[in-house]
Amino acid sequence: MNIIIQNLKKNFGEKVAVNIDSFKINSGEILGLVGNNGAGKSTLFRLILDLIKADEGTVHMMDNTRDINVAETEEWKDWTGAYVDDSFLIDYLTPDEYFQFIARISGKDPNELEQFLEKFKHFMADEIIGQKKFIRNLSAGNKQKVGIMAAMLLQPQILILDEPFNFLDPSSQSAIKHLLKKYNEETNATILVSSHNLQHTVDICPRIALLEHGVIIRDIDNKEGQAQAELEDYFEIND
Amino acid sequence: MNKYQLYRLLRKNENLKERRHPMFDKNRFMKFLLIFMWLYYAAILIFLGVTMAIGLKGAYNGVAAHHVFDGWFPIVLMVDFWIRFIMQDTPVNQAKPYTLLPIRRSFLMNVYLIRSGFSLGNLYWGFMLIPFGLIAIAVPFGWISFIGWLFGWWLLCIANGFCYLFVRTLLTKHMAWLILPVIIHGAIIAAMIVPEHSWLDMPCTLLLNGFANWKIVYILAVFAVIAILYYANFLLQNSMVYNEISKKEEVEVKNTAKMSYLNRYGRIGEYMKLEVRMKIRNKTPKMQFVMGIGFMLFFSLMMYFTDAYSGGFMKSFICLYNYIFLGVTTLIGIMCHEGNYIDGLMSRRESIYQLLRAKYYFNSFLLIIPPIIMLPLMISGKMSVWMNLGYLFFTVGVLYPILFQLAVYNKDTFPLNQKITGKQGNATQQIISFVILFVPIGVEKLATLLLGDPWGYILLMCSGIIGVATHKLWIKNIYQRFMVRRYVNMEGFRATRNS
Repeated sequence: MNIIIQNLKKNFGEKVAVNIDSFKINSGEILGLVGNNGAGKSTLFRLILDLIKADEGTVHMMDNTRDINVAETEEWKDWTGAYVDDSFLIDYLTPDEYFQFIARISGKDPNELEQFLEKFKHFMADEIIGQKKFIRNLSAGNKQKVGIMAAMLLQPQILILDEPFNFLDPSSQSAIKHLLKKYNEETNATILVSSHNLQHTVDICPRIALLEHGVIIRDIDNKEGQAQAELEDYFEIND
Repeated sequence: MNKYQLYRLLRKNENLKERRHPMFDKNRFMKFLLIFMWLYYAAILIFLGVTMAIGLKGAYNGVAAHHVFDGWFPIVLMVDFWIRFIMQDTPVNQAKPYTLLPIRRSFLMNVYLIRSGFSLGNLYWGFMLIPFGLIAIAVPFGWISFIGWLFGWWLLCIANGFCYLFVRTLLTKHMAWLILPVIIHGAIIAAMIVPEHSWLDMPCTLLLNGFANWKIVYILAVFAVIAILYYANFLLQNSMVYNEISKKEEVEVKNTAKMSYLNRYGRIGEYMKLEVRMKIRNKTPKMQFVMGIGFMLFFSLMMYFTDAYSGGFMKSFICLYNYIFLGVTTLIGIMCHEGNYIDGLMSRRESIYQLLRAKYYFNSFLLIIPPIIMLPLMISGKMSVWMNLGYLFFTVGVLYPILFQLAVYNKDTFPLNQKITGKQGNATQQIISFVILFVPIGVEKLATLLLGDPWGYILLMCSGIIGVATHKLWIKNIYQRFMVRRYVNMEGFRATRNS
């Protein structure tokens, strides 16, 4: 599923949050989105997910048979999974209940849910399922894991994760990288990941967009991992 | 920085907190409504003050109007007590942001106790008391008596405010403390209306008459009560500060019932489970539910055991109130609790539609509680079965659709898990709840006047049945209008989350 952004603009007062003339994210691509704080990464994700109103422009999800403007229909929600922040979590449920809820409203049967959870067993590290804790009582890292897993639960064709490595311990960060790569290989899903962690972004994203004041200033080919130097130069990491 | 400067700084911060609240900061209409409501209630109080002063004059064998009025002052204080839940925060909560700063805790507590206890809100009853006193005391007995009487009332309001602060702080420990004021107020009401002559009439009249005559003993006695309440509050708030800072919720989940009987309803069943879990696992909705049941029981028992509410209007009011109360407390803030996870809901297809339907079924199901509570009243003949049926159907088929309209317009997130919410609804919600509580009685009275009993109630039932039969249509309409307004609402929910 392709994502086509055209003439997309969002201002908060005087501040330009997003200003993208034209940008296409190809089907099956893992796109990394990087930029300083306030560059507009989360706002762009929210615009793609129709959670805020664009001042101008459109976001389309498109493949050979469909061309959908996300602001005009809800059809795309059937194949899009996302986790931006904890406003995606129903925190008075236990993780077990939350996954069951998502599975049932997405039409998944209990076996499918069980198989899904089995795949994430290592990632969950015995700290999420069967813990008899509400999501609100989980650590920030475990909440993050629940959010990421819930986004992936309906096996979306488009997966959007805002800073998925935040709060995770190193082994979980590594695990999620592998899970995302594997998921992309198996399903050919389009994956958008924003992160401040350049190393992880470079590791998993063959293409990286650099955002500054809402504008995509560089569209970097990273198939061979060559974006590292360019990004380090931009963020002045070696100075 | 000396203590006075520090006091001024804390006061300035509190004023900024109120002024910059997201609900009012960018919303001129809300400001206007707030002022309107403030003036509206003030006008009602002035009206009450004037009419009571005139109406009570000589009504009881030459007893002065203010003596009759003073005999009922516990009722005014009780109303004052419960209204404070909407308006007044505890000093512990107010002081919390400063507790880790180098400011003496006792100083903080004193500042916020004085601010809370002696707030200008205590003067609001003046809108009723001043016109009453001017007519009933100043004219016949002189200005000195009037000022003394007014001073006495003010002191009683302050004492009442400290009682409220004490209870409210205890409530942050455990919700069961709500029983304390319920029992005390219940006992006071019983002492006033169960005996042939109120047991409290004479002491209350004597107390306020003492103030009107500037009797020092009475003034000192009330001062002593205020001092004791202040000190008790100081000790309690002080001990609670650390609890608040280091508050850790009980993490082990006790209730993990699967509610698999709801699975047969598919997606709607899942949203119904969500609704049930929201009610039982979050302090604010749970508290609203418990309070609702408590009030229903209280009024029904009062009606059953006494003749206090045997008048036609009060019968209708209590019957309607019992049916609508749970709905009003829940649905007036419809979607406001969901504001906490609105992005998650909005990223699922038609989830709001399913959620609204689940809410309708769940709230309709709860309506089995009022007839059970009122069954003894129906059996004893104190309330008619037709009236119950009329209001039951009218609630589920007419009043609920009205309340559900708020799903389109509500855009303030209510905290889920504060023991008592600091946000109890905006002016629009207050107006709708006022309409819901009083307009149906007018409709009922008109219908029964025109058609007679029970045809008036049958008319209410029929209109309700139409609402029930068409529920999918009007819920769909609400959902579609919600989707048109979704950006505005989501922005509002985000702006008021955690505020």
